Amino acid sequence: MKKVGLLIMILSCVFFTNKIKAQTNEETNEKVTTVKDRVDGIDERLTTAESDLAKLKKIKFSGYILSQFENYADKSVQPNSFFSVREARFKLQYEAADGVNFVLQPDFSPGLSIKKEGAINSYIPNLSIKDAYVQLNDRWLNTFSLWAGKFNRPNYEVEQSSAVREVPERSRVIKAIYPGERGMGFKIEANPQKFPLHVQLAILNGNEGFTMKDSVGNNLTYNENTDFDNFKDIMARATYNLKVNSMLGIDFGGTYYMGKVASKSKTTLNSDYTTTSTVNLGDAINRNWWGVEMQVYLDVLGGMSLKGEYMAGKNATMGNIGASGVFQVANFQNNFSGYYAYLIKNIGKKNQFAFRLDYYDPNTDISGSDIGVKKFAGVAGKVASRTSGVSDIAYTTYNFAWHYYFNDNVRISLMYSIVQNEKVGVNPATNAGYVKTTYTNYDGTTGTNDYSSVFNQNILTLRLTTKF
Amino acid sequence: MKKMNLKKLATILSVLVVMIITFSFMAPTRITVKGSDTMVILSQKWAEVYMKSNPNTNIQVTGGGSGTGVSALINGSTDICNSSRKMSASEISKLKERYNTMGVEIPCAKDGITIYANAANKVHELTIKQLSLIFTGKIKNWKEVGGADADIKLYGRENSSGTYVYFKEAVVKGDYAASCQTLPGTAAVVNAVKKDALGIGYGGAAYAEGIKIIKVKKDDKSIAYAASAETIKSGQYPITRYLYMYVRNRPTGEMKKFIDWIISPDGQKYATEIGYFPVR
Repeated sequence: MKKVGLLIMILSCVFFTNKIKAQTNEETNEKVTTVKDRVDGIDERLTTAESDLAKLKKIKFSGYILSQFENYADKSVQPNSFFSVREARFKLQYEAADGVNFVLQPDFSPGLSIKKEGAINSYIPNLSIKDAYVQLNDRWLNTFSLWAGKFNRPNYEVEQSSAVREVPERSRVIKAIYPGERGMGFKIEANPQKFPLHVQLAILNGNEGFTMKDSVGNNLTYNENTDFDNFKDIMARATYNLKVNSMLGIDFGGTYYMGKVASKSKTTLNSDYTTTSTVNLGDAINRNWWGVEMQVYLDVLGGMSLKGEYMAGKNATMGNIGASGVFQVANFQNNFSGYYAYLIKNIGKKNQFAFRLDYYDPNTDISGSDIGVKKFAGVAGKVASRTSGVSDIAYTTYNFAWHYYFNDNVRISLMYSIVQNEKVGVNPATNAGYVKTTYTNYDGTTGTNDYSSVFNQNILTLRLTTKF
Repeated sequence: MKKMNLKKLATILSVLVVMIITFSFMAPTRITVKGSDTMVILSQKWAEVYMKSNPNTNIQVTGGGSGTGVSALINGSTDICNSSRKMSASEISKLKERYNTMGVEIPCAKDGITIYANAANKVHELTIKQLSLIFTGKIKNWKEVGGADADIKLYGRENSSGTYVYFKEAVVKGDYAASCQTLPGTAAVVNAVKKDALGIGYGGAAYAEGIKIIKVKKDDKSIAYAASAETIKSGQYPITRYLYMYVRNRPTGEMKKFIDWIISPDGQKYATEIGYFPVR
């Protein structure tokens, strides 16, 4: 009897243990299912988040601010000592699809106008759109890209961002022939994958940054989004990157600019102030020039580079036919030349020294001693006379700069530019230069800039470049 | 009194100069290495072995992808960049812009990009063309390449990866299929393929553990090969690439010593040990 009782107890224990086990297994399975569901849920959310993140990764923001203090030795620059925000850029890039990029870059710098000798010498608007283009890359050869909209004109110094440029401003010649730097139109670029050649061909309105006058001499309202005439400018640039070895690389190339602008006068005066040609209103006046460039990179106790470009050609400004009874002003075609040459040396990882020599002669047809003397006498009753002057004077600028890279985002720069004008002749009658300008000082007295000597026009710039 | 002060000052300055010079020589040299995930284990091995025999040198190795490494080289946050692809022309331009150099390229190992599949997969070999069609999403089912009737699951790397770029240029020759799941490292690709019976991925030969390696052939008429020292050296394995180290300037001092050792037979033997192949 006792044995039967023991057997029943054992069987009961086994039964209940199994039941408990079964219950435990059921609970475990339930828990596993719950955890699995949760993991699946997280996985699904993660996939959605990844998909959203992938979309966000197509958007890139970058930008920079150039905050600076400038001091001009030239007292005709008023004010000649001030703080300013030279540029405040914000660049948005969106890769809509593989090989399709949208770029929009406004400049938010507060308006800046610098007056020299009473006239506005430099003007930066309050808010302007610097870049607005779409770039379509060829997906088959990975070689060609088509740009449409507003973008940098194809030139080494133009395409170099102000946030990385080694001296405060672009060269005088570049600022003269590419005012505003950008162009509106289309551009095709070829960058073959296996050949270090880079070719750019652009067709542009060609009016960007220029001030044009109407037929009676009034400034045309500047509307960048259209052209002043129906002529389009063509610009081509080709560069080749030669890597001699890991310590020496030479990039070299050339540029050709073929521009036209519609005549607003019936006479065109050459920059020798002697030769004229008769044209019809609306005829094409050529603006053509060429350039050669070279950049040499040397790894000698740290990086070093020598970079330069020479440009020469014919530029033009339009005259006007004049109102009834008023003399017409002749178009003016000037032969010019200019160059810049950089020497840049990196000192360690944080410091950099830079020197640039730049030269621009806006009129190669007359020498310094002829400026202010050479004169187009005009045509009696028809065309107004014109005397050479400040706009014909050549300039040489020596720029020195020391940069300290605090980190990848911050650069502190101390820069000094020695600006030297070409000397004009001295008028024996007045014992003063043939070209001189006057200005009013803050105290009401009159100051004079006499271009028969090199007067102090040096500029000191202390700049903080912050970028992200 | 003045003379005394000057003497004292000169003595203090001399001591300071001597101390600075002494400490600068005594201070451990720190070298940072960043870039290719494919090269992380190899680079870590090199650093580990080198630091044992050069205890005054501290080498820090991190991954992040070749693109991340190149960016770090340009922004100055790394001394050496590991990259499983060549630097692009635009990246060299940025280096020129900031440092006025073109960078120094040092091929330090060879790698055969390996095609990973799940151990249960019945496909043994694929042509480059088939791989291209698979990764562009034009071949969607394993049965189209001799496998089971099931959808192909693609696993790949993020676009900051040099392997992603190299595989795209050398094999895919187009855009990756949208269904290709991007993962943050070769190890993650291997893991995903290990778990997914229908998965296929690509990556460095050294990571190929616990998965099936699919042999690759140039075309239908060629013989299929797996990546090995022999097939890579003879050029038979069709997806072979160099692995590079990039520095901003010609290396000097301890960095030169470290790089010279890596490309020496002594350093190269660790490339073989890890699963890569020597440069020469």
